[in-house]
Amino acid sequence: MSEADQKFGFAEPHDKPIPYIHRISSYYETLGYGKPYRWAQYNDVPFTPLKKSLSESRVALVTTAAPYQPDKDDQGPGAPYNSAAKFYMVYTDTTETEPDLRVSHIGIDRNYTTAEDMRTWFPLQQLKRLAGEGVIGGITERFYGAPTNRSQKRTMEVDCPEIYERIREDGGDVAVIVAN
Amino acid sequence: MSLIARHLEQNGIPTVIMGCGKDIVEQVGAPRFLFSDFPLGNAAGKPNDVESQAFTMELALKVLKSAIGPRTTVQSPLRWNEDGKWKLDFSNIEQMSDEEIARRRAEFDRNKQIAKERREKDIKSAAAAE
Repeated sequence: MSEADQKFGFAEPHDKPIPYIHRISSYYETLGYGKPYRWAQYNDVPFTPLKKSLSESRVALVTTAAPYQPDKDDQGPGAPYNSAAKFYMVYTDTTETEPDLRVSHIGIDRNYTTAEDMRTWFPLQQLKRLAGEGVIGGITERFYGAPTNRSQKRTMEVDCPEIYERIREDGGDVAVIVAN
Repeated sequence: MSLIARHLEQNGIPTVIMGCGKDIVEQVGAPRFLFSDFPLGNAAGKPNDVESQAFTMELALKVLKSAIGPRTTVQSPLRWNEDGKWKLDFSNIEQMSDEEIARRRAEFDRNKQIAKERREKDIKSAAAAE
């Protein structure tokens, strides 16, 4: 850190949000995987204002985590990337009990994320508390599992409408979507 | 996940994304986004830290409630640790030896093959069920 940095109280140069697109693209380029992944990119962004207060709204929770599958190798905590644990169809399960969800199938930070505590990627317990306190009106009966598919076509044409339909069926007013 | 948020919003359901990949979510274009500057996999708070998880969920709901328009990003004030050096390591090719790169190349090939087989099987069995 330079003298001026210190004088002005600047943060360390590395201490800003990781430029993932740049990191991942140069990583795979170096590993020799020709055409870089093209992340989605839009100029227009939709926006729907809340129709009623949160205390009257039923919250739908959407996750990329996968249900634990005992027959599919190591799924953590601390598992290496496990592509066998991936799933390719939207799934739902009850929010009445806490499910056993894992993240070994997605690109988490394996240096620092131990994946020992499901509540760091699946905030159902907190939502239940907030429902109990009346901050939110409630939680839909099911939560929604979204495949992490490299095929954006499939995500947009199959998974997105499927998740929307299921949330609508369950009377979800708003959605909390946890990325990983 | 940003694509899902966009689809839900287009169909009248307000959303908030909780995430740790700021540039990715913002490039896609998200309606509302609570960004936690944590390693990927901790979008809902720190492990074994209920206080951090409660704070993060409450902040996400505040973003959902109070955003005035699309592309609202709020960054959580929580820090993963003091020095932030974890940010240097993720897929950072500049920090890897040639041996490490070779090892990762082999691992990548193996996983790609497994995922391909699994995907074909899933889609086939779904088609059979229909």
